[in-house]
Amino acid sequence: MKVKVRFFARFRELLGTDIAAEVESGMILAELVQGIARKTPEGYAAIFDERGSFREFVIVMRNGKRVGSAETATTILADGDEIAVFPPVAGG
Amino acid sequence: MISIQLEDVDIGELVRRARVPGTGAVVLFDGVVRNDDIVEMELEAYEDVALPALRKIAEDATRLHNLLHVDIVHRIGRLAVGENILIIVVSAGHRPGAYAGSRYIIEEIKKGVPIWKKELTRDGGRWVPGEHPHGAERPSA
Repeated sequence: MKVKVRFFARFRELLGTDIAAEVESGMILAELVQGIARKTPEGYAAIFDERGSFREFVIVMRNGKRVGSAETATTILADGDEIAVFPPVAGG
Repeated sequence: MISIQLEDVDIGELVRRARVPGTGAVVLFDGVVRNDDIVEMELEAYEDVALPALRKIAEDATRLHNLLHVDIVHRIGRLAVGENILIIVVSAGHRPGAYAGSRYIIEEIKKGVPIWKKELTRDGGRWVPGEHPHGAERPSA
């Protein structure tokens, strides 16, 4: 099945954005993002801590809805999902 | 008018349109690119989420502060020093509602609308840190 991962701001500069991924059924959200983030050491270190958990300030969305840090380790992806990963917002 | 756009907007025209029947006060907020020794500012948005979020903030502000009219225009792309970043125009029957509604809108935008700013300098650039650095531990939106 196909999912899309979008990084924004500093994470986009490190990892790119609008990344289309072909994943197997049962894939966990956090594992997908870890796999993509491993493209660059800086990108991975910006998003994940030493234990492989999302850093506290990182915001994760699935189809436009926030996903909590603990939930990212248990959320099973569905076909067509859009995952967004970004740092704290700074508009206005 | 609730919009995320590259182009600037005619603020005078927005203020004129905000004077709907019943208006006793119009408040304009105009956020501009400050010269903090930068060359330009680059703005980026997750528009699929940011635009609905702006619409909800406008609806909430209207309900909470009895506003008669709301415009929110947030610009993206590269902006020079002095250019408009964010324009908020609200009207209400009375001054307290107009001031409070305008303030509510800007503070809610800063809390949770996915938009980012990068200050471009002669040496490179720096991302502006958010004022509300809560991340995945506290899902609320």
